[in-house]
Amino acid sequence: MGALNMTVAVIVTYNRSAKLMKVLDAIQAQTQRPDIVLVVDNASTDDTGALVKARAAGDDTIRHLRLPENVGGAGGFHAGMKAAYQMGGQYFWVSDDDAYPQPNAIERLHDALEQFQGENGYRPSFACSRVEWIDGTLCEMNCPRPVWDWARFIHPAKPWVLVDSCSFVSALIPRWAVSDHGLPIADYFIWFDDAEYTRRIARSYPGLFVPESVVVHDTPDNRGVNFGMMDQKSLWKFKYGARNETSWRRREMGLMGVLAYAYGVRRQMRGGNVPRHLRRQIYQAILQGFAFRPKILKP
Amino acid sequence: MDLSSFARSRPVDPETAGYLSRQIQEARSIYETLFPTQHLHFILRLGNDPVWSHPEVTEGPHVPRPADLGADFLGCLERPGTRADSPEVTIRLSIPRPPLPQETRQTSAPWRPPARLGFLFRASPMGYEGLRYQAEMLRRRRADRRKDKVALPLGGGSALIPRLEAPASGKRPAILIGMHWLEVGGAEKLGFDTVRWALAAGLRVFVVASVPAIQRLAQQLPDHPDVTFIRLDRYLPHLLWPRYVEKLALAQNIHAVHIHHCTPLYESLPILRARLPWIRTIDSTHIIEYANGGYPRISGVWTNYLDLQHVISRQLADYLQGSFQAPASRVRLGRMLDRGKIADRPPVLRMQSRQTSLHISFIGRLFYQKRPVVVVETLHALDVWAQKNGVALTASIVGEGPYEATIRRLLARHGLAGKVTQLPGDTDVPALLERSDILLLPSNNEGLALVCYEAIGHGCIPISTRVGAHGELLPSDLLVPLAPHATVRETSALIDRMWREPGFLARQKAGLEAAWMQLSADPTAEEVLTPIYRKIADQDRKG
Repeated sequence: MGALNMTVAVIVTYNRSAKLMKVLDAIQAQTQRPDIVLVVDNASTDDTGALVKARAAGDDTIRHLRLPENVGGAGGFHAGMKAAYQMGGQYFWVSDDDAYPQPNAIERLHDALEQFQGENGYRPSFACSRVEWIDGTLCEMNCPRPVWDWARFIHPAKPWVLVDSCSFVSALIPRWAVSDHGLPIADYFIWFDDAEYTRRIARSYPGLFVPESVVVHDTPDNRGVNFGMMDQKSLWKFKYGARNETSWRRREMGLMGVLAYAYGVRRQMRGGNVPRHLRRQIYQAILQGFAFRPKILKP
Repeated sequence: MDLSSFARSRPVDPETAGYLSRQIQEARSIYETLFPTQHLHFILRLGNDPVWSHPEVTEGPHVPRPADLGADFLGCLERPGTRADSPEVTIRLSIPRPPLPQETRQTSAPWRPPARLGFLFRASPMGYEGLRYQAEMLRRRRADRRKDKVALPLGGGSALIPRLEAPASGKRPAILIGMHWLEVGGAEKLGFDTVRWALAAGLRVFVVASVPAIQRLAQQLPDHPDVTFIRLDRYLPHLLWPRYVEKLALAQNIHAVHIHHCTPLYESLPILRARLPWIRTIDSTHIIEYANGGYPRISGVWTNYLDLQHVISRQLADYLQGSFQAPASRVRLGRMLDRGKIADRPPVLRMQSRQTSLHISFIGRLFYQKRPVVVVETLHALDVWAQKNGVALTASIVGEGPYEATIRRLLARHGLAGKVTQLPGDTDVPALLERSDILLLPSNNEGLALVCYEAIGHGCIPISTRVGAHGELLPSDLLVPLAPHATVRETSALIDRMWREPGFLARQKAGLEAAWMQLSADPTAEEVLTPIYRKIADQDRKG
């Protein structure tokens, strides 16, 4: 159904004002602009607030949601989608503050959702873009996960792959998915919130990977998520990741799912020669994750 | 697309626009019939429900609230009243979305045992079935003590007050046929048949359904300008049905209402008796069900408001006359059989003693009512028996429903996956029955399952639980107890006995043939109902 198409962009940001301004420029240049651009400011301490307000003064579509404290990417997307839902959005385009959509990125996602349903009857739970790094290669950390019959509806003019998971970097989510499945889990703080959420909403029907919709993810380097690459500096993020994914696996697959995950993490860490004291902390995070049962909230 | 247009200004694709227009037109037509003179305000929203529009109707002035609009607000439509001071009516509707492919295939979610009993089902499916059976028997015993089986009184009126007469109408007479829903089922099959018979009798036919559903079989209604399916199930609250029925009857010259398991039409009977007494009221019932009797009880309660109570079995006729003191002339037996397909001679039943192969079939929707778990457990017991006796046993399970996946798992668990074939609901049933020796029907509840009659007609011996009116078709020996363990045990013992004892098998065949011939001699539903439809059509022509 494409009778109502009000679209709210939800951009979560923290202390990256320069990149955020480029994101807003890219959104303004869209062939199909979101009706509202909601900048969720995770209590930035730089000039983000001032710059967003200045932009909003000349552009009614830009709204500034400043959170009282930094609640991480997960908390930001939770708060942003909740606000966007209350604003009446029919579609939520969620993305990072360092991902620049190419001019037709959002329109292509809309086209894919609408045409797919029109032609096949099924209602995809989301549509996500091809995320490229700044050199034009695939961004390793933003590769969606295909379902087993991913090729079912592909044909040359519409190469849309069925996926059950993607990152919150240019994903278009329809309102019904939020009504039916709730909001992202704020308590995750960071990492795995997008994977958990898209897998949750994909229970209704998988999402679409839409390669003709492209965003450029301006990250410092192009690395995937692998526990073998962990070091002291990135440990905190990996700990969140281990806790959150363990919690999800316990919920969805039970003890065997957690054990399989722990085994995989162990293999990655051994393969990457991760120091033992770091490994211990990851195991601790897995144990924490087993008892971590965050609630799923409806908007 | 212009550069920098906003997403909300995306043009609506023609298919969606056409769908919405049709839905809005259907809804408008219903409310414009119901409120012909009032000023109508329609507040339309985009719904996320494929079957129900969640209608809310406010008569009198209404100031829209935020909750009336919201994110899914589509717009407002106005239909001016016939006068400047016409009363206002506000109708809030969420236009249902088109059903998704998986919803079109199946509306019921796959069955799962209740969370606390999941362990019991996994450990012992029959233990779970036994517990459920006990709970149901308890409910039935309690229901039997209830005192709500009384026909509502209705006086005949006094000659001092003139009886209301039908107004003159330029339209040909019509009938309103109310169904439960337009989905697969025995009562629904009769509903579709009555639409065809009424049409053939010369009546215009309006069809409604009481239960919001996808109404998958709506396209099976005759494609004829005199047949109209009105989507009250989707757009009109039950509370407003009686008023709508009155308005429709007057507007369309309706002279008969035929109720097939359609609750809001029963609730429309008082308005019909009071204001449109010339309308003939008919109902058809099939099965005494649930703890309280289900539709036959409802029919019994409304006995005095009905001109004719059509039943498909003697058991139902006895129930209505015995429990509700319905007059014998009003209760008419009409079997769900097609006279044209009834053979003159009794069928030849195929099964022979000591035969080396046996094909067993089950045909029915995979809902609890048909007890598919008991079917699988019976097949499991028979498989053990067949291996001991050197019989090559194969089976077919025909049907779809929430138990499909459970059945598949149970068959695999018992090692029956290679011997039992699961077939879809549109399987060629006569062809299957032609190669089956036994039909299993271990239902929790039945009226008189048509498939039993069909099975005999195709040479297959049915074995059923002792429920409903099956005693009218099957000899006592072919009826097994309802308790799940006893069903399995007795069915196996019965097949074993027929296989071992030629005399016993011959007696069952003779009993089946006799009952089959007797049943075939009874009037059919078509023979009972068509003359009434013709009379209504002719009366109006003469009048």
